[in-house]
Amino acid sequence: MLKFHRRDFLASTAGLALAGRAFAQGAPKKGGTLKVSANANPSSLDPQTGGSGSDHSFLYPIHDTLVDFEPATLKALPGLAESWSNPDPQTLLLNIRAGVTFHDGTPLDAAAVKFNLDRARTDPRSNIKGDLVTVESVEVTGPQQVAIKLKQPDSALLLILSDRAGMMGSPKAMQELGKDYDRKPVGAGPMKFVSWNDNEKVVYARNDKYWKTGQPYLDGLEMQVIPEINTALRAVVANQNDFVYFLSPQQKPLVDRAKSLTAVSGPTLYCVILFLNFARAPLDDVRVRRALNHAIDRESFAKATMAGLSEVATTVLPKAHWAYDPALADFYKYDPDKARALLAEAGHKDGLELHLIGYTDQRQQQRQEVLQEQLRKVGIKLRFSTFNIPEGSAAFFSKAEGNGLLSQWTGRPDPSLTFTLLYGKGSYFNSGRAEASPEITAALAASRASPDIEDRKKAFSVLQRHVLEQALSVPLLFQFELDAHNVKVKGFKPNLLGKPRFDGVWIDG
Amino acid sequence: MLTRNRLRLIRRRLLQIVPVILLATFVVFGLQQLVPGDIAVTLAGDNATDARIAEIRTLYGLDRPFFVQYGSWLWGVLHGDLGKSLLSGEVVLDSILRRFPTSLLIVGCALTLSLAVGIPLGILAATRRGSRIDAFVTGIASLGVALPNFWLAMLLVATFALNWNIFPATGSAPLSAGVGDALRHAALPAFALAAGGIAEVARQLRSSLVEVLSSQYVRTLHAKGLSPAAILWKHGLKNVSVNLLTVIGLVFNRLLGATVVIEAVFAIPGIGSMVVHAAIHKDFPVIQGVVLALVVIVIGINLLIDVLYTVLDPRIGQQ
Amino acid sequence: MSKTLVRIGKWLRRDLRAALSLGFLLLLFALSVSAPIVAPHSPTNQDVNDMLQEPSADHPLGTDDLGRDVLSRLIYGAPATLYASFLAVSVAILLGVPVGLLAGFLGGWVDDAISRVIDTLLSFPAIVLAIAVTGALGVGLTNGMLAVGIVFSPQLARLVRAQTLIVKQELYVDASRVFGASLGRILWKHVVPNAIQPVIVQITLLLAVALLAEASLSFLGLGVQPPQPSWGAMLARAYSYMEIAPEQMYAPGIAILLTALAFNALGESLRVALDPTMKRR
Repeated sequence: MLKFHRRDFLASTAGLALAGRAFAQGAPKKGGTLKVSANANPSSLDPQTGGSGSDHSFLYPIHDTLVDFEPATLKALPGLAESWSNPDPQTLLLNIRAGVTFHDGTPLDAAAVKFNLDRARTDPRSNIKGDLVTVESVEVTGPQQVAIKLKQPDSALLLILSDRAGMMGSPKAMQELGKDYDRKPVGAGPMKFVSWNDNEKVVYARNDKYWKTGQPYLDGLEMQVIPEINTALRAVVANQNDFVYFLSPQQKPLVDRAKSLTAVSGPTLYCVILFLNFARAPLDDVRVRRALNHAIDRESFAKATMAGLSEVATTVLPKAHWAYDPALADFYKYDPDKARALLAEAGHKDGLELHLIGYTDQRQQQRQEVLQEQLRKVGIKLRFSTFNIPEGSAAFFSKAEGNGLLSQWTGRPDPSLTFTLLYGKGSYFNSGRAEASPEITAALAASRASPDIEDRKKAFSVLQRHVLEQALSVPLLFQFELDAHNVKVKGFKPNLLGKPRFDGVWIDG
Repeated sequence: MLTRNRLRLIRRRLLQIVPVILLATFVVFGLQQLVPGDIAVTLAGDNATDARIAEIRTLYGLDRPFFVQYGSWLWGVLHGDLGKSLLSGEVVLDSILRRFPTSLLIVGCALTLSLAVGIPLGILAATRRGSRIDAFVTGIASLGVALPNFWLAMLLVATFALNWNIFPATGSAPLSAGVGDALRHAALPAFALAAGGIAEVARQLRSSLVEVLSSQYVRTLHAKGLSPAAILWKHGLKNVSVNLLTVIGLVFNRLLGATVVIEAVFAIPGIGSMVVHAAIHKDFPVIQGVVLALVVIVIGINLLIDVLYTVLDPRIGQQ
Repeated sequence: MSKTLVRIGKWLRRDLRAALSLGFLLLLFALSVSAPIVAPHSPTNQDVNDMLQEPSADHPLGTDDLGRDVLSRLIYGAPATLYASFLAVSVAILLGVPVGLLAGFLGGWVDDAISRVIDTLLSFPAIVLAIAVTGALGVGLTNGMLAVGIVFSPQLARLVRAQTLIVKQELYVDASRVFGASLGRILWKHVVPNAIQPVIVQITLLLAVALLAEASLSFLGLGVQPPQPSWGAMLARAYSYMEIAPEQMYAPGIAILLTALAFNALGESLRVALDPTMKRR
C-alpha cells in the first residue's frame, strides 16, 4: 500500500537531494538481466541518423565512444582512443586501442574509425554533420592511429567524440545493411543488439568479447518503452522492471516509501529555460530581457514545479560542470521592483503582453501556470499557444512564431556547442537567427580555440558574462536526475548529462 | 450457409469498401497536410539546422506535391506494402499486426463483459418492467453511459492496483506469455471500458425486449396459455436478436475508439497509443496504416453483422 | 408561448427525473455566469506554501498542486465545460441537419453519395477522428469542440435523413406537391416539425457525449489550455498525483459525471414526453 499523508510529500522533498549511494556495495557478480523502464522510443539505433536526446541510453550499451567522459564533471577520459595529442593546433591525433573488435568480429582499427567519421560527415542520412563541420579530412596514419585535420582549431572536438560522432559502428554491417542498419546496429560496446519492437522493447545481450576485461557483469539488458512516467514507476514498484530513470520530483516520496527501491539523484545539464527571440520587438530591447530575468522568483518556481529536486539556474551550465564560473551565480537576483523599473525605462510602464509557445503535457502546463502568475505581478501578461513537443519546437525554432518558448535544453557534451547552438548567429535554436553581439561571436570562437582546459575555462567565463549581460534567454533551473532502482541493482552511477549508462552495473540477488 | 443472396450481399459490400477506404485515407492524409510543417523537424532532432531539415525533406520525399505523396503511398498499399514508420523505420504492417492483438484482447474482454452483464440486466429489467428492479437497472445504465471511462480507469487503478495490489497498474502481457497473465493485465482496462458497454447493451436490450413482449403477437401467445419463460426464450429473444446484433456492432466500434484514452492511462502498447503517437509526430505512414486497418475492421464487422442478420432473420436481405 | 410554459410546468411536475436534471443544469448555468461572485477564491491564485492541502474551512475542497483552491477552479471550470458541449453540438447541428435534410429529400445519387460519406465518417472511432482533427487544426477548446462537432454530425445527419424519408412518404406531402408547394415550404411546414422531436432528444444526449469528449481531449492535453480551468484538465493533473493525493480525482470526476447524467436524464425524459406512442406505457 502506498498511501501516505501529503505533508510527508512536502517535507521529504524539501532540501537537497541525496547523491547516489555507490559505496559499500560488495563485489560485482556476473549474471542476470537488467530490466529498465525507458521514457521514449529511440529515433534510431544508428547514432548518426537519430536525433533525439533520449536515444543515448539506448545507444551507450551497443556503442562505445572514441572518447569517454567522467560522469560527475564531463571531463574527457580515454575510451576507444586510449590517448590523443595535438601535434599542431589544427590536427588531432588519436591512438586507437589495440585488439578491440565489433560485435560481428570486424576489427576496430584506424580504417574503421576513418570510415565512421567520414560517414558522419558526408552520408546524406547523417544528422551529425554539424558536429564535425570543422573537420577538413580524416587520415589513417598507422594501423591504430588516425589524424583528424581541422579547418580551424577546435578544442570542442574531443568531447564531441564522446557523443554520437564518436560512437563507432562496424563498417561491414553498415555497408551490408544500408538503411536497415538503423534497426540492427553493430558496435563495440558491452552489449550486443538483439531485437527492437517499436515503442515496446529493445533487447540486448552480453558481448563476451568486450575489451574491458571482466565486464559487462550483466547477461542481458531490456529497455521497455513506457512514455508515461507514473506508469513507468509503477512497473518498478510492482517488480516488473528493475530500473526507471528521469522521474519527476513529485514521485520521490513514492520511491522512498517502497522498501524494495533505492532513489538515486544527481545534477544534470537539463535546463528548464525560456528561450527568447531577441531579434524581434519587444524582446530586442535588452532592458526588457533583463526585466524578465529579474521578475522571476526561481526559488518559488523550483519549489512549485520541482519540489526542491533542482538547482536554480542563472546561466546555462550547472554548478558541477567544469566550465561553470561561480562568480556569476548572483547575476540576476529576484527583484520585481527592478523589473518594473526596467520595463518602465523601456517604455512599457503600463505593462506588456508576450506571446509564448509552450507544450501541452501536464508538467509543462504546470510550469506555464507558475510563470504566468509570477510575471502578472510585474505587469507582464503571458499568453501561451500550446502544441505538442515537435510542433511547438518547430513553431518557435523553424517558423519564428512567438516571442519565446518555454522548453528545456538537454545540454551538449561540450559547452561551446551549447552556447553556439543557443546564441550563435544563424543557429537553428536561435529563433531570430541574428547575431547577438560581436563580442559574443568572438567569445564563442575563443572558447574553441585552445586545447588547454584552463584557457578554455577563462574563455567560457568571458562568454558567459557577455551572454548574461545581454540576457539572451531566461534559464530557470537545472532538473536533477531522479532514478529509482531495485535494491538488488548495484554499481549504477548517474552522470551530468542526465543520460543513464549501465556499464559497470550488476545485479546482486 | 452461403446462399446466393448472402454472396451477393457480401460482394456488394466488398465493392462498397473500396470508395470508403479511399475517402477515409484521403481525408486523413489531407488533414495532415493542412498543417504546414512535417516530420522533418522531428527527424532532425537535437542536431537540427535549417539546412539539415531541408535535406531531410528531400531525402524522405516530403517536399513532393500532395497527390504524388498520396499516390505513392496508395501504390504501395496495392502491393501490400504499408511503408515504414518515418520515426523509427519499423515496417508499419508489422507494427499493426503486433499491436492489434493487445487492443483486441482488451476490447474483446470488455465486449464479453458488456454482454455477460448487460444481457441479463436487460432481460431482468424488461420482464419486471415498472418494478424497482427495472428502475435500478435503468439507473445503472444511465450511470454507465455518463461515466467518463478514463476517470473510472483512474479509480480502478487507485483501488485495485495501488491500494490492494490485485491487478497490475500498467502495461499488457501477450497471450503467448500465458493466458492468466494476459487476462490479469487486461482486467482493469477492460472493466473501465465495459461500464459504458454494459449500460448500452442493457438499455437497448430492455427497450427492444419491452417492445416485443408487449406486442400483439406475444399477447396472443400469452392468451393461448404459453408460460412466460417459454414466451421469453422462444419468441422474445429470437425477435430481439437482430437488435442485439446491431448493438454489439455499435458497442464494439465505440470500444475500439475508447481504448485510445484507456491505453494512455494504462500505458498499453496497443493500436490506440500507436496512432496518437504517430499523429503527434506526423508519422504519416503509421497514421495512414492504422486508419486503413481500422476502416477495414469496422467495415468487416458491419459486414459480418449484416450477414448474421440474414441468418437470424431470413426475411432480411431478400430484396 | 405561455401555453408551452404551462405544458412544460405540467411535465416537470409529473416527471421527477426531468425536474431534477433540468434543475441541476439550470443551477450549473447560474453558477457559470456568476462564477466571479460565487467562487470563494481566484481560480488562478497560486500559493506554493499551500500545495495539495486537505479540505479546510478556507478551502472546502482543498488545494491543488499549485496551491489553488479546488472549489473555485471547479466553479470556474463550469462555463468552459458547458460552452464546450454547446459549441460541439451546435457544430453538429449546423453540419448534420442540412446534410440530412438534403439527403433525405433529394434522394437518388445525392443521397447515395452523402450516405457513403456518412458511413465513412461513422466507421472511424470518434475520438481518433477528434484527435486527428485537433492535430490538423491545432490544440485548444474551440478547435477541439469543432472536431467533436464534426465527428458527431454524421449521427445527426443520419437521424434527420431517416426522419425526412419517413415524412417524405407521407401522403400529405405528395398532396402538397400536387398543390404546387415549393421544396422549402414543404421542408419547413412538414418535415421539420415531425423530425424535430427525435432530433431534440438526440441533441440532448449528444450534449452528454460532447461533454465526455471534451473531458477526454482535455485529459490528453488537447483541449482547454491553461490557465483556464477545465474539469477534464483537472482530472489529468490529478492523475499525476494519484498516489500522493488521490482525492484530487473525485471532485472534477463527480462534476463531469453529474452533468453528463443530467443531460442524459433530460434526454430520456424528453424522449418519453415527446413520443406519442410511448405515452401509453
